[in-house]
Amino acid sequence: MAPKFQIKVFHLSRFIKNFTIISVVTLSFLLVFFSKTDYYIINGVKNISSSVIIPITRFITAPINVFSNFIDEYNQFRSLKFENKILQEEIIRLKKWQTLAIQNSRENKVLKKLLNATDNNLTLIKTASLINRNDTIYSKLINLNAGYEDKIKKNMSAINERGVIGKIIDTTAKNSRVILLTDPNLSISVKSISDEIFSLLTGNGDGKYLVSSFVKENKMPRLGDIVVTSGTAQIFPVDLLVGKVAKVEKNRFFVLPFVDFANIDYVQIVTSK
Amino acid sequence: MEFSKFLNSSSKLNIILIISFSISVNSFILFPNVNNAFYILFHLTLIYIIFYHYHYYLYVVALIYGILFDILLLNNIGAHLITFLSLLIFFLLLRKFLIRLSSYQIIFIYFITLISLLLIEQILSNLIHNYKFNISSFFNFFLISLIIFIPSIFFFTKLDK
Repeated sequence: MAPKFQIKVFHLSRFIKNFTIISVVTLSFLLVFFSKTDYYIINGVKNISSSVIIPITRFITAPINVFSNFIDEYNQFRSLKFENKILQEEIIRLKKWQTLAIQNSRENKVLKKLLNATDNNLTLIKTASLINRNDTIYSKLINLNAGYEDKIKKNMSAINERGVIGKIIDTTAKNSRVILLTDPNLSISVKSISDEIFSLLTGNGDGKYLVSSFVKENKMPRLGDIVVTSGTAQIFPVDLLVGKVAKVEKNRFFVLPFVDFANIDYVQIVTSK
Repeated sequence: MEFSKFLNSSSKLNIILIISFSISVNSFILFPNVNNAFYILFHLTLIYIIFYHYHYYLYVVALIYGILFDILLLNNIGAHLITFLSLLIFFLLLRKFLIRLSSYQIIFIYFITLISLLLIEQILSNLIHNYKFNISSFFNFFLISLIIFIPSIFFFTKLDK
């Protein structure tokens, strides 16, 4: 009886082994096939990864985060004296500008009333803080601590005080994922402030510059021109600051974004009114 | 130390996989090379487990890590999943040949496999996900691999006694 039993066990283990290998390979093939389309299984997998896996990985990396924060604070502390001097000089300079700005602001209000103009085209949905970032290897993504429970939806724009950061690509109940402007898979339609040049910008892959992938009528901007969102693709609201033209070549130009992507703490999620 | 006695070397290597995965998917602005180093350490550990602790549960491990790496680093499933599973299938096919090799030859193949994995991932991420093949990033990976390869092997063999 014993040899027969052994043979059965051997066959069973071999069957499980072959079944596992074949099912894993088939499942992988299906996942790769469906990942480009928007199937709910893929979205479910993405949701699990942002709501379950990211907190676990953050817990595991907590000691490194503490060390990194400590080094950051130490560096800031070291530069305090130098920064203090610069700030004192800046206060004197800003006081002069403040008087002028108050005058201009009053004048602006009066002129707006005369023109009956409204310039605020944004609706603030939520101000969220950064949970973690995946922008060192391959893509440029950040995760925020607000999700669809806070009325955040896919394709909403993420901005901060300096300008456009990116757009929402995934949302779970309490988290959302933002693809940064510097990612090569994000395109943004922009124009120059003078409304003369319209173009599409994408990330250059180096994480620093944006490069034009299309320029309307091949009209190239000048070095130093400021570019803002054109609002033509109806994803980003119109007239949000994007960056400054840093390099112009024959068929393309490079833009240096205003946002410092290494120092993002809080992000505002907005839509156009 | 008492706790470590309860774990066999395969479990310890799996713990290294979890830790290196966690560190490589959380970017540290001040230390970007820490992410890269742990990303390479993950690959090194995975190859080591496949070479010296092959078991069919590794297909499930490769599937899970492949999906998670793809979603967290590329936002689409593809490059890592294909690479990890291809590595397993190639190992299954070439196992009989690898057993005959000397330890130095295996170490050489180990390093070549590591560099090939990193290269294939970059190529696939370019083909499937539209991320440009970045030579400087690949060169950076190569340098880090050179630096951490021997200490990692030493550490793994110590773990394996």
